[in-house]
Amino acid sequence: MTLLLALLRQRLRRDRLQLALWIVGTGLLAFAAVSAVSDTLADEQDRREILGVAIATRTILVFRGTPNGIEDGAFAFFLLFAWLSLMGGLMSTFLAVRHTRMDEEQGRTELVAATPAARILPTVATVVHGVLANVVLGLAVALAWIALGLDVAGSLVTGAALAATGIAFLAFGLFAAQLFRTSRGANGLSVAFVLAAYLLRGVGDAAGTPSEDLLHLTPAWPSWLSPIGYGQFTGAFAENDLRPLLLPLAFGIVVIALVFVLQSVRDQGASLLPGRAGRATAGPTLSSSFGLAWRLNTSSLLAWTVGGIVTGLLATSLSSVVNQLAGETPQVAEILRSAVGGDATIEQAFVATFYGVVGILAACCAVQVGIRARQEEAHGTAEQVLATRVPRVRWLLEYWLVGIIVIVTVLAVAGLSGLLGAARSDDPETMMTDVIQAAAAQLPACLVFLGLTLLVFVFAPRATVPLGWALVGAAAVVGTFGPILQMPAWVVDLSPFAHSPVPAGDDTDWSGGFWMLAIGLAAGAAAVWSMRRRELASGG
Amino acid sequence: MTTVISTRGLVKRFGRTIALDGLDFGVQAGEIHGFLGPNGAGKSTTIRILLGLARASEGEATLFGRDPWTDAAELHRRVAYVPGDVALWPNFTGGEAIDLLTRLRGGMTDKGAYRERKERLLEVFQLDPRKKGRAYSKGNRQKVALVAAFATPAELYVLDEPTSGLDPLMEQVFNREIDRVARNGATVLLSSHILSEVEALCDRVTIIRAGKVVESGTLAQLRHLTRTEIAFVHDPAREADVAAIPNAHDLVIDEGRVRFTVDSDAVAGVLPDLGRLDVQGLTVSPPSLEDLFLRHYGDELAPVEAEAQA
Repeated sequence: MTLLLALLRQRLRRDRLQLALWIVGTGLLAFAAVSAVSDTLADEQDRREILGVAIATRTILVFRGTPNGIEDGAFAFFLLFAWLSLMGGLMSTFLAVRHTRMDEEQGRTELVAATPAARILPTVATVVHGVLANVVLGLAVALAWIALGLDVAGSLVTGAALAATGIAFLAFGLFAAQLFRTSRGANGLSVAFVLAAYLLRGVGDAAGTPSEDLLHLTPAWPSWLSPIGYGQFTGAFAENDLRPLLLPLAFGIVVIALVFVLQSVRDQGASLLPGRAGRATAGPTLSSSFGLAWRLNTSSLLAWTVGGIVTGLLATSLSSVVNQLAGETPQVAEILRSAVGGDATIEQAFVATFYGVVGILAACCAVQVGIRARQEEAHGTAEQVLATRVPRVRWLLEYWLVGIIVIVTVLAVAGLSGLLGAARSDDPETMMTDVIQAAAAQLPACLVFLGLTLLVFVFAPRATVPLGWALVGAAAVVGTFGPILQMPAWVVDLSPFAHSPVPAGDDTDWSGGFWMLAIGLAAGAAAVWSMRRRELASGG
Repeated sequence: MTTVISTRGLVKRFGRTIALDGLDFGVQAGEIHGFLGPNGAGKSTTIRILLGLARASEGEATLFGRDPWTDAAELHRRVAYVPGDVALWPNFTGGEAIDLLTRLRGGMTDKGAYRERKERLLEVFQLDPRKKGRAYSKGNRQKVALVAAFATPAELYVLDEPTSGLDPLMEQVFNREIDRVARNGATVLLSSHILSEVEALCDRVTIIRAGKVVESGTLAQLRHLTRTEIAFVHDPAREADVAAIPNAHDLVIDEGRVRFTVDSDAVAGVLPDLGRLDVQGLTVSPPSLEDLFLRHYGDELAPVEAEAQA
């Protein structure tokens, strides 16, 4: 018991910041979203309409949940539960892999396994740690909603549903850690599982059978395959039925039992699936330092591009729905217009807000290129490359070029996916022009962030990772939510995203774009040029 | 004879820490040069300046007569480098890393010959090139860097503690490869903190401590600085004869063993005396670098250590 407590304390100590951020972040999201909803959608009629539109068009249901009436709590549960479960699921699987396979891969488990704690007890400690984290997460969300005055029983059921689904994901994370030899493989499979659970229940909701008043819905069978689906079956704030949670909990217990069986028969460091042998020689991409920079960034490019495709598809396929909604509820139109400014029509404003998100995705992808350069440097691999015939300036120049390529790729692919939806709209020609303009309008702001990240890399290398993300994150929040949150104009103007041109047919004002284009290119060029005098800054 | 590496008054400061404090040393073409010093003496910093990865705060360093900072890429055509702590790309295999570094060095001009050299090196170093970078142990990461370095002929090999993760068998393989490139006329700068390793390979040695050169010369020249320890089982009846051995220093009789040291170039002179004494359980330990430091710089070392702890 003392051993278990010691292992548990080590886990809590190691995760105290990370878990605090996950739990407080999820709790704050639950709090902020509900308080925003009760402000902007206080009117019953508005909620009735939104549920009606959601049930009528179905796409929105994929990203929300099962409609279950317009009562405060039930409406919040519909809007947020699936999303909160997704966060809790990612928290749980990352936690599971971090304390099992990642430790094992990096040799720390061996150190612990050689003590009386042996091979199995550390996994027991991880299970206890993960269950505790999920219980605290459930309580945090329940308390946030109780604090906002939502029904206590419903809030507690929501918390319980969140914890139960989280425990199912925790178990899957532990199982994936038994399957793979690397934490990367285990995390990849776990994230895929969590996303699949989210999407399955999304399809279940979208394909469900609505009630006659268009306020309730019975999900279709895919929801029965997803832990998040069972969380939704509780019908928190209405039925308040805890029985469906027995299934994800039973799944968790069975899978965790399986994990212990697997671990007790395998060697330390081994895995169920054998590690694959890689290629013995390098392929043609790895024939130059540019090819190397490209290869190092392709997997993150792929991830951001998928985000761009989904956002682009939503931008045009949902715009007709929103157009209809805006005709009936004027404040939706107002929110859209105030977010983008200018003289755009509702549809143009809607497309622009979605491509604003695409711009943020592309900027993040570009920031990650700069961060990759820093990781290469800190890890020590850049040293070996720069000890060959590659000059420092060219090395960074190539990262800059890769950054420009990834921006253009994300924007272009998101633009193409938007065109698919636009082709089926009422006025395809206008909307296609809007999509192309809106996608292209994001390029300058992205170049600004690429340039800024590279400047930070050259002049304050150790700050590259935190500052790179902080800059783009702050600008994204200020630029997209600033107008809605009624921040002062000068604060909003600080964000490059606020200056991205908004498509308005022939009246589009491109001046902000040209300014940022110049600034972004100048920043990037200055960073590359300054590499002449920059030493390699390893470590830290 | 041409000078390949030369530094004059090299100073490197990191904030208030002084890593190099007026370092002067030179390496001639064709020589295997040992670069010795305890951990933290400034060996890696010097190497990084010589490769143009860091810039000297003061003083001058030249590689093939040129400035390594401004002409880095040009000079690197002629250099192969193995870092002290080899980092590999976690998701590339060892084989991919070797090919990539070779291509970046411009060593792929004759593909067939390269493949032959690589295959031979993988064979002798017993390295599996199909494993991912993150799966290699320290010794195997070092082998990847060594194979990449030796697979393309270079004029200068800069090796930063290249054998620290290798087992004794692999050290032999490494020594043979060094002999091979040296026979082909290459220059080698080999940093280490183990004197015996350098003794087996090097023509000349530079010893640095706290960013300064403390000794430089051929191994024979340095031999006078070192003393060899001789120990054998103590026979109380012969104590007087033991005390009479000429050139014996620091004589200690302890726990049934006699221990003393002699200058390393005077070991042969002591052997007849040991034979007459008919000693049992004789051990002759070569001097370690640490002994050398303690013996010659012990008084200087104390304040340095105090400073390091402060």
